[in-house]
Amino acid sequence: MACNSSGCESGCYDREKDDGSKISVEDAVAGGGNQESVCVKCKCNEPMTFGDGGSDDGRFCAECFRNNVFGKFRLAVTSHAMITPSDNVLVAFSGGSSSRVALQFVHELQIKALKNYEASRDRSLPVFGVGVAFVDETAAFPALSTEMVDAIEWVRSTVSSLSPPAKDLHVVPVESVFGSDSLDARDRLVKLLDSVPDDTGKEDLLLHLKMLTLQKIASENGYNRLVVGSCTSRIASHVLSATVKGRGYSLSADIQHVDARWKVPIVLPLRDCVRLEITRLCLLDGLKTVELACRSQCGINDLVSSFVALLQEENPSRECTIVRTAAKLTPFYFNKIPETDDSNVPMATQRRLKRFNIKYDGSMTTEAFCPICNGPLNRSDSSGLDTFEECLESDVLYAACCSSCRFQILPEDGSSLEQFSSYLPDHMISQVKHQKVNSQAYLREKIKDCLLLDDEEVV
Amino acid sequence: MQFTLEFGGGLELLCDSVKIHKVNINLLNDSDILTMKDLLSWVRTNLIKERPEMFMKGDTVRPGVLVLVNDCDWELSGQLDTTLEDKDVIVFISTLHGG
Amino acid sequence: MEAGEAKSKKAGGSRLCCICNQRRPVLKRPKTLQQICRECFYEVFEEEIHQVIVGNRLFKSGERVAIGASGGKDSTVLAYVLSELNRRHNYGLDLFLLSIDEGITGYRDDSLETVKRNEVQYGLPLQIVSYKDLYGWTMDEIVKMIGLKNNCTFCGVFRRQALDRGAALLKVDKLVTGHNADDIAETVLLNILRGDIARLSRCTSITTGEDGPIPRCKPFKYTYEKEIVMYAYFKKLDYFSTECIYSPNAYRGFAREFIKDLERLRPRAILDIIKSGEDFRIATTTKMPEQGTCERCGYISSQKWCKACVLLEGLNRGLPKMGIGRPRGSGNDQKDTKARSTAKSIESKQCGSLEF
Repeated sequence: MACNSSGCESGCYDREKDDGSKISVEDAVAGGGNQESVCVKCKCNEPMTFGDGGSDDGRFCAECFRNNVFGKFRLAVTSHAMITPSDNVLVAFSGGSSSRVALQFVHELQIKALKNYEASRDRSLPVFGVGVAFVDETAAFPALSTEMVDAIEWVRSTVSSLSPPAKDLHVVPVESVFGSDSLDARDRLVKLLDSVPDDTGKEDLLLHLKMLTLQKIASENGYNRLVVGSCTSRIASHVLSATVKGRGYSLSADIQHVDARWKVPIVLPLRDCVRLEITRLCLLDGLKTVELACRSQCGINDLVSSFVALLQEENPSRECTIVRTAAKLTPFYFNKIPETDDSNVPMATQRRLKRFNIKYDGSMTTEAFCPICNGPLNRSDSSGLDTFEECLESDVLYAACCSSCRFQILPEDGSSLEQFSSYLPDHMISQVKHQKVNSQAYLREKIKDCLLLDDEEVV
Repeated sequence: MQFTLEFGGGLELLCDSVKIHKVNINLLNDSDILTMKDLLSWVRTNLIKERPEMFMKGDTVRPGVLVLVNDCDWELSGQLDTTLEDKDVIVFISTLHGG
Repeated sequence: MEAGEAKSKKAGGSRLCCICNQRRPVLKRPKTLQQICRECFYEVFEEEIHQVIVGNRLFKSGERVAIGASGGKDSTVLAYVLSELNRRHNYGLDLFLLSIDEGITGYRDDSLETVKRNEVQYGLPLQIVSYKDLYGWTMDEIVKMIGLKNNCTFCGVFRRQALDRGAALLKVDKLVTGHNADDIAETVLLNILRGDIARLSRCTSITTGEDGPIPRCKPFKYTYEKEIVMYAYFKKLDYFSTECIYSPNAYRGFAREFIKDLERLRPRAILDIIKSGEDFRIATTTKMPEQGTCERCGYISSQKWCKACVLLEGLNRGLPKMGIGRPRGSGNDQKDTKARSTAKSIESKQCGSLEF
């Protein structure tokens, strides 16, 4: 849960002083205004003042503040079994503040594990592995190529400074999902993006391709977890933009701590931290970040971000409330780390997984997924894929996609759609075929009692 | 040029509660082309007596305000680029009211 | 070139209506981006509403149906279209106009005049129910007592009951209200922003309160506000529009502004928000709480006393804060309530009308 008020120290608006009276804004900003400014938590150290006008400024000392943020990270990791000793974890790093903090915290967790390992007598628990991935989007934003080159240099030096233990860095261009021939791949990427008429759709398609790239890096290099640094604020924006794009059904899949619908499960250990905490932490610890121009948004996504920023000004706990509301939506069966009988996974972890998974009612309904955004499809939405027999690949694509992707990503007319379909990365096309097969199986399952012969074909 | 401007849906409150205004606009520049864009800024300066943010946002009308030029949705004639002629009737209706 | 021709060339371009291909278009539909003429617009507008009514089985023949009439654009167009469709398609409905008089001088008395005119114009019998008759207090009196904070809470609770009571007086089977697509989209967003998952699960239902005294439905659920206004304008329907004088920032609402900006960027977004609201995976256990009856007045209530009685008791005893905000429970609720009463800018145009 993003923010339960009792333990919440993430800057929610209605703070009460220990004596029960409400704290005033002036108190907070002036670093106390009280005679004795002490950290309200440990009551001994001097509180930090960030002077950024955010809430809870000047209430906590540096140590307590830091412990609080790291504490939320560690709680998310342990209670969702995100990282266990036998795992090999890939951290998605964009250079932004959230992923920088994620990287830092994972690194610290690893150092601790290493210390324990070296101190333990039997060395029974291995130390999990950590790698870092950076997706190079230059092909989609050719004008930013110099900026990107500098950014990559900076990423290399940042990652190498985070050792021991040393971490592999994978800098991979986003067009690699199209194939290994870089020129051809880049060409396909550009053609694909150009054929999307809607700006927001184009932006979202690039995000989907980035995720495919990360998945590719992870599975090709033996990682079994992908750490993504999405914070509460990012998720709040996603809740609203998904709502606005008609993606209400699949929303609950995207905002949980764990998303295991992918080959390499994605985990969100910073989900319960707000952006303000993260930027303050970067300031506190001197963590450098780089803001790339390609990260700027357009269209609907930009409108939503501005709206959330406006809401935050009016009430700093708004993003927490948004995520809390969305967290009440029913997640999917894949929103948990899959149980395993793998003997390499420590028994304690296996037990914890089993305990945790009881919460999910175990309804293993197989979902169909949109080949483009990988969102679970609402059965009532599917436009009768089963009515298609021999038809164009593009028709099958159209029928296989969710209604949101159909509108904002797929081109309208038949010939453009065909072209678009031909530019898609193979992985997405195979998803389409996979879905068609699944859907026939599903249909067959439903009518099997009426079939006269076992091998009768579904028309 | 002469125009009849009508304000509805509550917008009349911004112009001293007068719904219909017959106005005469003389063009400052030499060109004899007046666009909706020009008209809007004229209206903001000369007719809107309070809370201009209820009528306009930036260069154009606030989202939620419908504009009809000679009984025709201005979306069809190019919105801000719509060219106006003498004796045109322009209607502004706000949709942002309880019903 | 004739002046008229020149005007039509400029106004409609050289295109013709998408549907009939004969007349010049006067409107670009936000729903479909089609350019259509007046007559075709009337047709598609009315036909779509007819399909919504039939497809969702909103009415049964012979039912007595009250139209919540405020004199505003939505209820006026609703009254006009519903009585027209009732005639045209033989729904067999007994239609009435039902108006609530909150007792707000300068606002409600003017809009009630409009409804009285509608009664004559559409030939629909009118019933007016006043707060004064029902509760012994007008909104003017309430505001004098409690000021401008929380007055919207009072009005919303009272209005909700008043509609039900008025409907009971008229012995109607169903209530219809003019909530349009923009309203519902806004409610979905507000419920997300406020953390109200229970309301979120109910607010996109086209019919609500089937387990309550009087079911209510919203035939305009998929109808864009812009189209309602255009319809009213072209048909020259009589309606009244002004903001309630007691709602401080009702005219300005962050969520409304956002929706309008969104509509400009992507008109179908309004319907997409409603679709999302319908598709949200919300466990059925978060829906309606236990329903009993109020000890004091017999109205439906999940507590010992219904909300209106609690508020009234407070007013009568001179304790205006009684019943405001939720009872002490989780800290979350408290935070939400505080945020709600301080964040007036989240309130939208018609106070209380979003409390379905």
